[in-house]
Amino acid sequence: MNPLSRLELEPRPLARAALATLALGGLVALGNGGGRWLDPALLGYLIASLFACFGVAYRYFTWLERPATAMYWRWTLRTFLSVRGLRALPRVGLKLLDQLFLQRFIGKRSIKRWGAHACLAWGCLLAFSVTFPLVFGWVRFTSDGANADRYQAWLFGMPAGSFPLGSATAFIAFHILDLAALMVIAGCVLAFLRRSTDEGDAATQRFDLDILPLLLLIAVSATGLLLTASETWLQGRNFGTLAFLHELTVILLLLFLPFGKLFHIVQRPAQAGVSLYKAEGDAQGLLPCRTCATPFIRPNHRRDLERLWLELGLDGARHPGGIHHLDLCPRCRRRLVMGAQSLRLHGAFDPFAEVPLPVEPLADPISFRS
Amino acid sequence: MVSEEYGFFIDPQRCIGCRSCVAACAECGTHRGHSMIHLDELDRSASTQTGPTVCMHCEDPVCAMSCPADAIKRTEDGVVHASQKPRCVACGNCEMSCPFGVPLVLPGLEQMLKCDLCYDRSSVGLKPMCATVCPSQALLFAPRHEVAAMRGSRPLREFQVGELLVRTRNAVMVPDPETPLHLDAALLLDGGF
Repeated sequence: MNPLSRLELEPRPLARAALATLALGGLVALGNGGGRWLDPALLGYLIASLFACFGVAYRYFTWLERPATAMYWRWTLRTFLSVRGLRALPRVGLKLLDQLFLQRFIGKRSIKRWGAHACLAWGCLLAFSVTFPLVFGWVRFTSDGANADRYQAWLFGMPAGSFPLGSATAFIAFHILDLAALMVIAGCVLAFLRRSTDEGDAATQRFDLDILPLLLLIAVSATGLLLTASETWLQGRNFGTLAFLHELTVILLLLFLPFGKLFHIVQRPAQAGVSLYKAEGDAQGLLPCRTCATPFIRPNHRRDLERLWLELGLDGARHPGGIHHLDLCPRCRRRLVMGAQSLRLHGAFDPFAEVPLPVEPLADPISFRS
Repeated sequence: MVSEEYGFFIDPQRCIGCRSCVAACAECGTHRGHSMIHLDELDRSASTQTGPTVCMHCEDPVCAMSCPADAIKRTEDGVVHASQKPRCVACGNCEMSCPFGVPLVLPGLEQMLKCDLCYDRSSVGLKPMCATVCPSQALLFAPRHEVAAMRGSRPLREFQVGELLVRTRNAVMVPDPETPLHLDAALLLDGGF
């Protein structure tokens, strides 16, 4: 069967993704003077970027359709517009800065992981922030009129400063992508080293989810660096072939964005909403467990989770006495299993009941390998 | 993949509260130093009863259904994994939604962690760490067909919370597994523990 015939696309996310792509196309055209400042050599990148935009937007809007995600989206908007939410914004902004840029929470998992992720994240963000404006024609460089020794930078068709060839500014402008490539390669190497020695990763990693993105990033970075090497040290030897290979790897990476692990780049900022939502709940104080009276859940969380359960078809989770399962703290939920088992064993719960010991010898003595 | 032939059997009545499982849990490769097993006391003033709780690995995991980031995945072998690091936004929906009170959102890590049957071990035929060290076999990882011969009680994998029926991969040992184990809050209110 043709796989495309089984392709089922959700109509609402499809329409929204199409709109997002049209919007990006409009902004691109607006920023590059209706195509006047577009670099024809980068046309392939532009088409791939628009496809990537459609794919990422489609996945993002499909993700927002999930009941739990949709509900969090609504909660966040509501919180954002509330007085409490607005008051919490500065604190949440600082936390977001920490989580998205410094990423210290990854360092608490492991310093090696943080090192790899920091190189990858900052390298990728740096590369994206340079590449996309160039590809869209929003930023371009030309010779400064009759003065061939100076370069003129343009931003949205307006002059944005000039600099002499051979200056530090020129070096940074023309090699910033090389720096990003080196950072990404360093991050990939660190990630591969960690993955090759970490037993947990070895057991749970998948080629398509965890390895392929790293290989793609290395391919893009290496071919990009080879372009510089060809131009700087090899008198432009094989430049055309290398440029084609680089374009091919970048297009593959862009088309892979919606499907793989790299999608978390656009998904992760959702953490801002969570921080805001938690801040609003904390301001209200925690609600107590209905059985042990220990405070454990934020009031907004309790209210909204019940609505979510209703939407998920879990609305029957009320105990015979009318207590909702969400009103029990995690510890009491665990104690319930113990108590219910005891009830089955003894007919009634008896905390003084003797523990039935095994009458036969243990079938499998303690061993570390089975 | 964890072999379908192997099951995880929990018998709180056998637990002696030695906390070996708690210490061992942190040693597993996927847990990276964090213990994800809970060892609770019913009521220290009334009973010496303790009970270990590991993830029950639900067939339709409520934690995954409640996750806004789509970060919790159940593999074909029925194991529900800890949240995926790149996706988890540490909202706590899973922590508050789990019928059995299992997941933990650890402060600072911004990630939900939970028992994954020590996947680095169980996926290659080894026992999870807790079942390896449990001296009374309150936590048992064994071929399903061997358990009947080892125990007087039988594995039960269905739990009733009000009208909600939860089916799981892991089992609790009871004498009569024909009907689901009813988790009724009245037991905590009236039982006095």
